[in-house]
Amino acid sequence: MIEILQWSTLTVCGLVAVARVPSAVRGRNRTLFYIFALMTLAILLSIQAPYLAIDQALGSVNLANLLLRFVIFAAIFFVGIRVTRGFGADDAYRLLTGRIGMAVLGLTSLMVVVVFLMMDTAGSSAGLVAVAGKEDKDRDLVQYYGAAGRAYPAYVSLVLLPAMVRAVRSTLPSLVRIAAFLLGTGSVAIALTLLFPFYPPSWGAATFLINYTAVLCFVFGLALIAVASVRHRRSGPRPRTSTAK
Amino acid sequence: MPIPAKAFQRWLHGIAPNTSTSDICRVSGIKRTTLAQQLVRGKVAETTVVSISRAYNVNPVSALAAFDAYSQLTDTRPPSRSELVSQISTPDLLRAVLARSAADPGAEPAAAAPAGSSVLEPAPHATSVKNWVEAIDDGELRHRVSAATGIAPQNYSAQLTANRLAPELAVATSLAAGVAPASGLVATGLVTEAEAGWPPGARQAALDSLSDGELTTLAGDRLQTLGRALRRQEHDHEKTEKIWENLG
Repeated sequence: MIEILQWSTLTVCGLVAVARVPSAVRGRNRTLFYIFALMTLAILLSIQAPYLAIDQALGSVNLANLLLRFVIFAAIFFVGIRVTRGFGADDAYRLLTGRIGMAVLGLTSLMVVVVFLMMDTAGSSAGLVAVAGKEDKDRDLVQYYGAAGRAYPAYVSLVLLPAMVRAVRSTLPSLVRIAAFLLGTGSVAIALTLLFPFYPPSWGAATFLINYTAVLCFVFGLALIAVASVRHRRSGPRPRTSTAK
Repeated sequence: MPIPAKAFQRWLHGIAPNTSTSDICRVSGIKRTTLAQQLVRGKVAETTVVSISRAYNVNPVSALAAFDAYSQLTDTRPPSRSELVSQISTPDLLRAVLARSAADPGAEPAAAAPAGSSVLEPAPHATSVKNWVEAIDDGELRHRVSAATGIAPQNYSAQLTANRLAPELAVATSLAAGVAPASGLVATGLVTEAEAGWPPGARQAALDSLSDGELTTLAGDRLQTLGRALRRQEHDHEKTEKIWENLG
């Protein structure tokens, strides 16, 4: 069940990335292509088989997991910048690129790297499950490592959320408002990942569901805006009726 | 409330006996599937009754009045002056302002707009529903309509902003305001002025009877509302452009 979800998310994300290639070649919003490409890579790295293959090529010390963390950081950072720019949320933009945003990014990155170095990471294992099973010390460290890795995406999504709520309640075109709703739902899902340590162990499937809901909401939301803009450009400015200029 | 199919069929038999449904649809320009669907659901739309009445030379307002939900329409009071003026489009009001200021200050108001030179656009206009409700609103009207019909105030406002109003709400609004019941149907465009019994030239006469001060204030209010709506539209347009630019 979870495997199906993982592979279909990968397919969707990969297809959207491929769909962005022509506009990326033309130089139109290239960042969006990078975002989808990074997301595809991140999903690839979170699936067992590709993870093991890539990690073994990197020396079997779970370096691929560290790579995954930074791929996620980069993807969410660019999503944050593009979305705050597009939706005109200047305060949110400053919270991401200003001193606070950079401090959060720097601190979480440092935490992730330091904790990673402290762990005995030998032996490829997706999700570091095998690492956590080695010793008590490693089990705690894996927890901290995961928490640090989720902290930055959660920060970005909490910054995005108010702007998305505003957009949903606005009088913008309905496709844009649906997209904002999806992005907002994705943000809530990412924020919920912060609470993973408090979930009972039996909720393992819930964590997967929340992660993939977040990814799918972001991918569909961003893709929907692109679709809406293509439709808008094709139809051209609609003739105004009652309030013609 | 849409008209019950049973009552509709009884009425239809009265005005077009022994006529097939397809003939009725052909003459009145209603799609056959639309009518069939309405009959199956048991609820016939008011527009259907209006179209068929017109096709068979029956006054649509008296046709509607034959149904229980619209029995109030038998009351054929003339519309008030403010209702008549509310059904003049903003461009027409502005033209009247210009025409008056161009004319001799001492001239008769009627002379400022010689008959035939400026014919008013027929009702309804782009904001006629909202302007009509504002013209008859004593400040408590929306409350009374909401209490009488059970519609939530924000849904009622949304309809007015969208320049539409369900026929039963239009009639309920008239009743709550104590004005001619058919006026709301004119403002929503369901029936014409003439069908509602408004005398020809009534709107022009009401316009001519406005003093320069009244006319100018009214035109100013309309312009201000229009300006706000345009500004909002432009603002949304800019925001959307920015979204396309960054995420398109």
